[in-house]
Amino acid sequence: MTTTRSVGILATRSVRTIRRLPSAFFPALAMPIFNMVVFAGTFFAITQIPNFPTDRSINWYMPLGIMMGAAFGGVGLGFTTIRDIETGFYDRLRMSPTSRLSLILGPLTGTLIRVLLMTTLVIVIGIVLGARFTGGLLGVLCLYISALGIATTGAGWGLGLAFKFKDMRGAAIMQLSIFLVMFLSSAQVPLEVMSGWLHTVARINPATNILRLARVGLVNESSADYLSWNAIWGGLVAVVVMSVLCLGFALRNLQKLSD
Amino acid sequence: MNNTSSTAPIVAENLSRHFGEVKAVDGINLTVNQGEIFGFLGPNGAGKSTVVRILTTLLRPTSGTARVAGFDVVKQADQVRRNIGVALQDAAIDPLMSGYELLELQAVLYGIAANKMKQRANELLERVGLTAAADRRVSTYSGGMRRRLDLALSLIHQPAVLFLDEPTTGLDPMSRLTLWEEVRRLNSEGTTVMLTTQYLEEADQLADRIAIIDHGHIVREGKPSDLKRSVGDPTLLINVSRQQMDQAKLVLSAFGDMRPTAEGTLGVGLKGGAERVAEVVRALDEANIVVEHLELNQPSLDDVFADATGYRLEGADNAPQAG
Repeated sequence: MTTTRSVGILATRSVRTIRRLPSAFFPALAMPIFNMVVFAGTFFAITQIPNFPTDRSINWYMPLGIMMGAAFGGVGLGFTTIRDIETGFYDRLRMSPTSRLSLILGPLTGTLIRVLLMTTLVIVIGIVLGARFTGGLLGVLCLYISALGIATTGAGWGLGLAFKFKDMRGAAIMQLSIFLVMFLSSAQVPLEVMSGWLHTVARINPATNILRLARVGLVNESSADYLSWNAIWGGLVAVVVMSVLCLGFALRNLQKLSD
Repeated sequence: MNNTSSTAPIVAENLSRHFGEVKAVDGINLTVNQGEIFGFLGPNGAGKSTVVRILTTLLRPTSGTARVAGFDVVKQADQVRRNIGVALQDAAIDPLMSGYELLELQAVLYGIAANKMKQRANELLERVGLTAAADRRVSTYSGGMRRRLDLALSLIHQPAVLFLDEPTTGLDPMSRLTLWEEVRRLNSEGTTVMLTTQYLEEADQLADRIAIIDHGHIVREGKPSDLKRSVGDPTLLINVSRQQMDQAKLVLSAFGDMRPTAEGTLGVGLKGGAERVAEVVRALDEANIVVEHLELNQPSLDDVFADATGYRLEGADNAPQAG
């Protein structure tokens, strides 16, 4: 009960900053929309590639915009935690007797609420710009699960680095690692179109599986990935494994903060 | 909340904390008794805050043990946290939150029941004089208001032991006096207080006992009055021109032991006290030394500090630091 209340109040603190400091939340909303619109507009001809899974470029790039927004929204928790550590506010949280897990789950919940808002907004704008959920509500659900999963992974990673470095050194690693993981995947083109080392890296990159999950309800009905159990299963495993690993990394480093 | 042990509220035994090669705290022993205000005095970098961070579970000791409110700070950190209140240096408060929201946050983190939370928060806001500002964002508070809010936050769960880490640093004299009054009031209600400070007057005014820490070691410990008495003779301070410094030192050393002072001032522990001041003036006059300023100080905590460490706490920013 106490842990639940702690999670709730820490999540409230995180969400409250949306209203108190909207300028800090605005980029988290604007960037995914920008990425979706720019990529879909610039690479509209990508759908001409033989056997490309969708005939609408926005169907391909809307999930990418959301995934990038969610990943950066997740690691953003690392940034705010670094600020809390540097100002000493995090000491106040650590000195309280609440469980260490709630110190992670509380801000994480706040982050996921932000990512939900962002995802919903991008989907609405995407639909206005021509995106179509071929997979219906299941497709929408898969996209939300992917976004929340990658946000959880990013948050765990960001928190772990924040606790490890305790200052802005961690921030640079957070950003770089998210870029590498996202772009060394099937973010831009399907796995089948890649070759050489990029194909190898993208194939073992769990972000590829999470992106497949995000797109299962946006590809053409004729595509092999269309609401395919194989794509959904692979994505869910990647989401769970990455989330657990990264949250474990965060919890371990939180416990080591006193060392 | 009550102690679950009959031991003193704070006990540290052979406590050390090293950061690489730097021994920030080096084998200190410390006991703070029930109901005391214990002053922990030392310059920046002496190791005060490191000790407090260990005692409040924020930092693990490299070696040694410490018990707070009867619980081991490493093995029973959760129980320690339930029994202590802490106001750290630089009142760490989220500026985007209001005073009331912060109290609410703190109350939930300490497991205070929802139906008691509002009443407790309002009591504390009234106690520290922040009722009118409760719903304002903390970013609009003055330094003194932030310190008072920080104090209120540390009291939300009625802790048995209160740690105040340099609570008045940077405050104006009025705010400082207000905070001192509140600390006295808390102590009179039974709260054991450990207060770290670099202000001699603060330690002198508030503390029942003090410990002086320097370079990670406790160099003196006791009641302020006993410590001052232990220094012995009053200190005669004189200022002379730079050219006559060495000559004046020679004359003064005949009247007692030379004592460390701020640069440009000579100090001597005057054997025989005030009665011998005229004799000193005559001796300086006979040596053709022009005295620019002279004063006789009864032993102070600064004298105790100087006696223990070889330098004065006032103006000690130039003193060698332990990290």
